[in-house]
Amino acid sequence: MLRRFAASAALMLCFAGAVSAQQLTPSPTLDAIKARGHLECGVHLGLPGFSFADDKGVWQGIDVDFCKALAAAVLGDATKVKYTPTSVQQRWPILQSGQVDLLSRNTTITFSRNASLGVNFLGINFYEGQTFIVRKKANITKADEMDGATVCVAAGSTEEKQATDWFAERGKKVTIVNFQRNDDAIAAYDAERCDAYTAGFGALAGQRSKLKAPDDHVILTQLISNDPQGPTVRYGDERYQAVVRWVLNGMIAAEHFGITSKNVDEMRRSSTNGEVRRILGVEGNFGQMLGLSNDWLYNAIKQVGNYGESYERTVGMDSPLKLPRGPNQLWTKGGLLFTSPFQ
Amino acid sequence: MSPALRRWFYDARVRAWISQAAVAGAMFGTIWYFVANASENMVKAGIASGFDFLWRTSGIDVPFKIVDYTPQNNIVDLLWVGVANTLLVSLLGMALATILGFLIGIARLSKNFLLRSLATGFVEFVRNIPLLLFVFFWYFGVIRALPPPRDSFAAFDTFFLNNRGLYVPAPTEGHPFAAVSIAFAIGVVLFLALRVWAAKRQASTGKAFPIWAAGTALIVGVPLAAAIVVALTTSWNVPVRGGFNFRGGFVLVPEFVALLAALVTYTAGFIAEVVRGGILAVGKGQKEAAASLGLSPGQTLRLIVVPQALRVMVPPMTSQYLNLLKNSSFGAAIAYPEIVSVFMGSALNATGQAIEIIAITLAIYLIAGLAVSMFMNWYNSRIALVTR
Repeated sequence: MLRRFAASAALMLCFAGAVSAQQLTPSPTLDAIKARGHLECGVHLGLPGFSFADDKGVWQGIDVDFCKALAAAVLGDATKVKYTPTSVQQRWPILQSGQVDLLSRNTTITFSRNASLGVNFLGINFYEGQTFIVRKKANITKADEMDGATVCVAAGSTEEKQATDWFAERGKKVTIVNFQRNDDAIAAYDAERCDAYTAGFGALAGQRSKLKAPDDHVILTQLISNDPQGPTVRYGDERYQAVVRWVLNGMIAAEHFGITSKNVDEMRRSSTNGEVRRILGVEGNFGQMLGLSNDWLYNAIKQVGNYGESYERTVGMDSPLKLPRGPNQLWTKGGLLFTSPFQ
Repeated sequence: MSPALRRWFYDARVRAWISQAAVAGAMFGTIWYFVANASENMVKAGIASGFDFLWRTSGIDVPFKIVDYTPQNNIVDLLWVGVANTLLVSLLGMALATILGFLIGIARLSKNFLLRSLATGFVEFVRNIPLLLFVFFWYFGVIRALPPPRDSFAAFDTFFLNNRGLYVPAPTEGHPFAAVSIAFAIGVVLFLALRVWAAKRQASTGKAFPIWAAGTALIVGVPLAAAIVVALTTSWNVPVRGGFNFRGGFVLVPEFVALLAALVTYTAGFIAEVVRGGILAVGKGQKEAAASLGLSPGQTLRLIVVPQALRVMVPPMTSQYLNLLKNSSFGAAIAYPEIVSVFMGSALNATGQAIEIIAITLAIYLIAGLAVSMFMNWYNSRIALVTR
């Protein structure tokens, strides 16, 4: 009797061991990032506020901050990122071919991209909407008044098609001039080849600084589209996708719970809120469940900050862009940011 | 080995066939491997493939087109817009670059110091500047030189020039100017007939006929007369001032002018060197012989030097033409809607079909390039020195 019990107990132990060894789905992307020791992040060629190299050659911006947060969560060090600047045309092949681990580059989430390019969008880090920048002397306040205007745009951007559709629907004749790069389109707008240049309001705020006399131009407040943007990865490797999704959720949740890069150590020591304790790895083993260390989000918040800190530093009031939070505010404060719970 | 088989084995022709078949097989095998590999990987990565996207509605507007197209058309129509624009700027560019290149090439050999130095300076300038900079230089130069729409240059209230382009009246419907190309063809045929007649007359009577003046009159005059008749009998859509700009009519955009100017001036610099090399390759004795026959310097150049120089010039000219065709893709940088801009830019990003679109674009450049080479090879064999 005892022997039989011992035998079945041993059998069950073996079984349990086999199960626990298989608990983690394999993640080739995470393994590759850890093995090479840095994250490969595809960013914009240069868009102030979102991703641009500053005068010391250091990459800055809200999209760059997400790369840093992910590197901090996976590798424990926000500086272990290699940035690959990508043009509108290069971004998909570079992601699809595996040259980068993710794109974090001011790219609109669309149905056909998700369905036919083999890419997944894992959340929204910037609610963007398309609008126009015009010369003040043109005296335009709304996009509706642009009948007959000439508009410069980057070829192949969602803005190109959206503007064509929007004006066609309203029976307005607008000439769209397509350039290969945003910078060429802005230069042509600045040379008065076009009456307007179109992009998202956030992108326009960033690009305005590239004009000869930024104060002579005005960004229209009327938005003609919804352009949510967020981190983009290849199809496959679900565990890696979960990491990317929950790092973004973690940064937004950290703002919600008032965890900042300044008070994160204090919160880790003394917070009695269960969700805060789970985010910071004091309670449970959420990091390990994803194949990371338990201080994954602690590292991200400590080194990069929560979503609000990153926003204000890169595009918000502490930056030259001075964009109000608008839809990119927590829902509790009238915005659209609403995250899933850490349970 | 039986003697028959051995003979067969050592037959040079048979061996050539076997080696050719092996090379062709290896090539097709490699291509097949790449295609199979790419499609397998695309399926794995969840990327849609195939050519069905060509019949999707494009939704992309093009500001400069010489074929009928609206954003409601299919992507394959958009491709055709790009091809037509590429061919337009390339063929016009080849013709103008040849003329300008000839003039500069001959000027480089001139006895006049100023002319010679200017031509040398131009060639050195052009050859040492990257084409992209050249294109931007022209583009912004053209735009800055033109006034904004409200201060447009106007002529007869029908032609307007501003930094959005040159606005000219367009026919209200159809392509009435097809008649002009027919008139052009008639002019060419008449000129060829006249040339045969003039050659015969000169052979029998010794009297020269002013064939070039008559030819110019026929080739330019006949289509011009047809154009005037068509212009007077067609209804016109005249550009009118709108809120921002002029509406209606046909607009020649600054992108076209800038790209054409850049391609022509840039390629002319290289063609000038080809021309100079060709002329220098003609033996000095030829000119001396011509002079001793009493031919004028102009006649010497036209009848003795250039025909011989052409034989040296045609092969390198072919590569200049091919370069110009390929360089027309620089239009993408300044929003000239040629194939790279509308197809590899806008259409590629609207559909994401990178491999298919790049393959189609490569095939089109290949076909256009081979057509240019074939024409030049035909011309080369026609003018080749016939030895008897």
